[in-house]
Amino acid sequence: MLRFALARLALIPVMLLGVSLLVFVVLRLGPGDPALDYLRLSQVPPTDAALADARAMLGLDRSFAVQYLDWLWRALHGDFGLSYATRRPVLPDLLGYLPATLELAGTALVVSLALSLPLGAWAAGHRGGWQDRLVRAVAVLGVSLPNFWVAFLLVVAFSVTLGWLPAMGRGTLAHLVMPALAIGLMSLSVNARLLRAGMLEAGSGRHVLYARLRGLSERAVTRRHVFRNALVPVVTATGMHVGELLGGALVVETIFSWPGVGRYAVSAIYDRDYPVIQCFTLVMTVVFVLCNLAVDLAYAWLDPRIRLGQDSA
Amino acid sequence: MTTAGLPARSGSVAAAGALAAGFVLLALAGPLLVPHDPLAVDLAHRFAAPDLAHPLGTDHLGRDILSRLIAGARTTLGAVLVVLAVVVALGLSVGGLAGMVGGRVDAVLMRLCDVFLTVPTFVLALFMIGALGTGLVNVVAAIVLSHWAWYARIVRGLVLELKTRDYVLAARIAGAPRLAIFAEHVLPGVVPPLAALATLDIGHMALHVAGLSFLGLGVQPPTPEWGVMINDARPFFWTRPLLVVWPGLAIALAVLAFNRLGDALRDRLDPALVAGRGL
Amino acid sequence: MSKLASLAVAALLACTVAPAKAQQLTYSWPTNVGPLNPHLYAPNQMFAQASVYEPLVRYRVDGTVEPWLATAWTISQDGRTYDFTLRAGVTFSDGAPFDAAAVKANFDAILANRARHDWLDLARQIDRVAVTGPLAVRLVLKAPHAPTLRELSLPRPFRFVSPAAMGEGGTTAAGLRAPIGTGPWRLVETQLGVSDTFAANPTYWGGKPGFARLVVKVIPDPNTRAIALQTGEIDLVYGAAGQIPSEAFLRLRGQAPAFSAAVSEPLATRVLALNSARFPTDDPAVRRAINRAIDKDTLVRTVLDGIEPRADFLFAPGVPDADVGLAPHGFDRAAADALLDGAGWVRGPDGVRAKGGRALGVELDFVGTNAQQKAIAEVIQADLARIGIAVRLVGEEESAILARQKDGRFGLIFGEIWGPPYDPASFLSAMRAPSHADYQAQRGLPDKPQIDATITAALAATDPAERRRLTATILTALHEAAVYLPISYAVAIEVHRPTVAGVGFGATLNEIPFAAMRPASTRAAR
Repeated sequence: MLRFALARLALIPVMLLGVSLLVFVVLRLGPGDPALDYLRLSQVPPTDAALADARAMLGLDRSFAVQYLDWLWRALHGDFGLSYATRRPVLPDLLGYLPATLELAGTALVVSLALSLPLGAWAAGHRGGWQDRLVRAVAVLGVSLPNFWVAFLLVVAFSVTLGWLPAMGRGTLAHLVMPALAIGLMSLSVNARLLRAGMLEAGSGRHVLYARLRGLSERAVTRRHVFRNALVPVVTATGMHVGELLGGALVVETIFSWPGVGRYAVSAIYDRDYPVIQCFTLVMTVVFVLCNLAVDLAYAWLDPRIRLGQDSA
Repeated sequence: MTTAGLPARSGSVAAAGALAAGFVLLALAGPLLVPHDPLAVDLAHRFAAPDLAHPLGTDHLGRDILSRLIAGARTTLGAVLVVLAVVVALGLSVGGLAGMVGGRVDAVLMRLCDVFLTVPTFVLALFMIGALGTGLVNVVAAIVLSHWAWYARIVRGLVLELKTRDYVLAARIAGAPRLAIFAEHVLPGVVPPLAALATLDIGHMALHVAGLSFLGLGVQPPTPEWGVMINDARPFFWTRPLLVVWPGLAIALAVLAFNRLGDALRDRLDPALVAGRGL
Repeated sequence: MSKLASLAVAALLACTVAPAKAQQLTYSWPTNVGPLNPHLYAPNQMFAQASVYEPLVRYRVDGTVEPWLATAWTISQDGRTYDFTLRAGVTFSDGAPFDAAAVKANFDAILANRARHDWLDLARQIDRVAVTGPLAVRLVLKAPHAPTLRELSLPRPFRFVSPAAMGEGGTTAAGLRAPIGTGPWRLVETQLGVSDTFAANPTYWGGKPGFARLVVKVIPDPNTRAIALQTGEIDLVYGAAGQIPSEAFLRLRGQAPAFSAAVSEPLATRVLALNSARFPTDDPAVRRAINRAIDKDTLVRTVLDGIEPRADFLFAPGVPDADVGLAPHGFDRAAADALLDGAGWVRGPDGVRAKGGRALGVELDFVGTNAQQKAIAEVIQADLARIGIAVRLVGEEESAILARQKDGRFGLIFGEIWGPPYDPASFLSAMRAPSHADYQAQRGLPDKPQIDATITAALAATDPAERRRLTATILTALHEAAVYLPISYAVAIEVHRPTVAGVGFGATLNEIPFAAMRPASTRAAR
């Protein structure tokens, strides 16, 4: 277990190096001119002299390799440069916004698991009944509705019409309800459906039959054998949802004025604020990689057959 | 990226198939089917209530909503189909090459895939738009770049699996060239699961396109697109909620139809190939 | 589960009870206000700079300036020397006196970074600033510059920070120690991405603000801002018309007395520049036809919801020297068709005109994320199609549009809206710079050199009558050439909850008179 975790950890820096090169190459090959964007965001008219100055100041007149190595060296020291738009250091700002996004995505994850597990088990327990059909219908719909659309309908229903929940901002649990639900709906639906299917499948397995023959109570059988086995695909799926939950948070933050990285990043993309775009991509990648690592560890704990070296693609 | 349920019931699959076929038809034949020019601005008739001429009414510029929804099918689904075509082609060539040749080529290609897979897809798509600029073409490019590695990985895995089958071994012993083996023996085994995966991904990618357009990073006006229509309609929600509801429903129905179809396709696959491939 | 529910209820209660709500004014802005350096630009937000820092003279609605931190001034006969008498008894909010030495220290800091202010003529024209008494300052220019006083009234850079708060060696270009001004508000807290909080300045020399605190929440999205006002999370929306969607403005205005809403006098112009150096808008007939083919009344009534008045000229009627008695081009589709017919543009089978084998197609460039520009562009496209001009819409991000303005790669393009006190002088001045859309749009005009020379003469003219005559010449030439398509006169809007009283409009878009606002009496009595 420890060896497995350490091996995964050791791979991370290599992957991040690759991602950093990818990010740098694509930004430099892209059609934009960072110097022009820098001047625009500084509200300086882009005369030729100003452009030349900006190029020299941003180091754009150097060779590509020198630019990359210089940037990498600084990045390794936590210096991702200054945002063109705010003139503030990018990394501290991004890390300042990150907790809000993690709070949102994390709550969405908790909501997804807290609702999907009982729903899935409920459906499996009433196979073929109206409960089962209801859960399956919700699950099918939940993966099809655009999260930003759901968010908007929620605001209109619960803030504007009923006045129950605050429409924007962060602070209390009440602020979290609607954005977390909008983001978590997709994962919730998939997990409920998976757990239901897993429990039905596991319930018909041979070891469950033996457990029943051994005289274990139905409740114990369900808890010890059926549920635990059915949980494995849910964990796998949740791992795959981490990216979707983060992506969902980025979209939905705009609607709820949620002070997270999504708004920071989307406005950086509108503005073509290169240092922010670079740093954002790398930080989100680190978050993603760490989440995946956690999921892998959970998976290895649930299913000891997973071992190092086995192709888990 | 949805995962297994029990085999979908045939009735609902047929309905989903019909719906999906309907959307494809709209995307292909939209221009022939629209009752009005979806771009025709008519300020004298903005926010017209639904009637015979405009079954879903008109929007804030007096454009026919039904026509824009139909034309939007072409934008959204067209973009997704282009993405899928490129992604599948890339997946087949990169994954096929890695799987068939193996060795150092395989290692290099797979490390490249790993780099792309390390970044969350939506973040990668956002980044690509940040680098390339906004617009439909760039959205297509961004989604291709953020998804191709999944396909390459899966194709490679399938190829490795199929390479161990007797008929493939027989062909190799007989000395057939690798390309021929790939085309004649491996490809037929790769295509069905790939088709299922691609169908399942249509919905997922349509949501990506709509989400990016909703953020204002995607399709540019006056091109009708569902995510853009939702964003355009937001200011009018209190007075005209249906303006937001219609395009949202269109997205939901399209995603639903293709998801169900993908589920059904996957259920018919060879379970040995499907196992553990994120299908 | 029940524990969670009670937690949720507690949380709900917590967010509805805020202490001393009556003494607090809550406003919103798309971003944080920035570090508030009076001598720098983005990310400092002008409305916040103008709330903390004050100018020597203040711009008035009628286009003149009034005494502010300077109580009096004299201008020498040659127009090069300005002598200011400073207001006595003014202190910065850190207790430092506002005197001639402080004024000189600020001008020195601004001029040490002169390249940064190159866009502004006055920054180039100032030769030196001298202390002539404890409360007397002399400004010496290199050449006479008529708009000097108006440019001194701008929100930046000619405003004053406490010398003790300046950066290393009395400079401000690399940042301040603290944002300390003489104005009615002090910045007390910034929460990144959440809000900025101002407190009333207890030592302010002018009228004391009616609210003790001003909280500016960060809300980037106009729709969310409208919801926030409606649900009571903010008290006030104030600013350019895009602050909330016009639909929301009308809806809230209709809900009186729950909300009060108002529209200001015209402050700036929403205008498109037509490229006179590029096919097909190099043909004056095409430019005139475009000016006659747009049904602006319908456009303004629908897309802009009737909030902004139709514009016929480059400058709003209130802009000094700008009312020169021109005849509007006027909407007349038949006349537009006739103009094109007369110029030899013949309609093809697809309805698009052509001449000499080249189709009459023009490209309209706009900022893709700007909903209002987008809607206007779509309407213009439809209107021009009816006279046989095919418009291709190009929605791009702001930097791409800026690049197009700079190098003239556009057919029609949305221009920048400046408004007073920049108009007309600073705006006309910029027409001479190749990096502006206006220069690029006018480049194809045969009399462009004369126009530029007239602008230069007008800026240096010390005699007001002469300046008016020269400005009229310029505006007439531009109007006749039809290189602009004015759409509407931009206005400011405000909507506030009944808990706020005393909301009025300032003379410019960028200064918000927060200090004059006060709690409505019913609430204040609590």
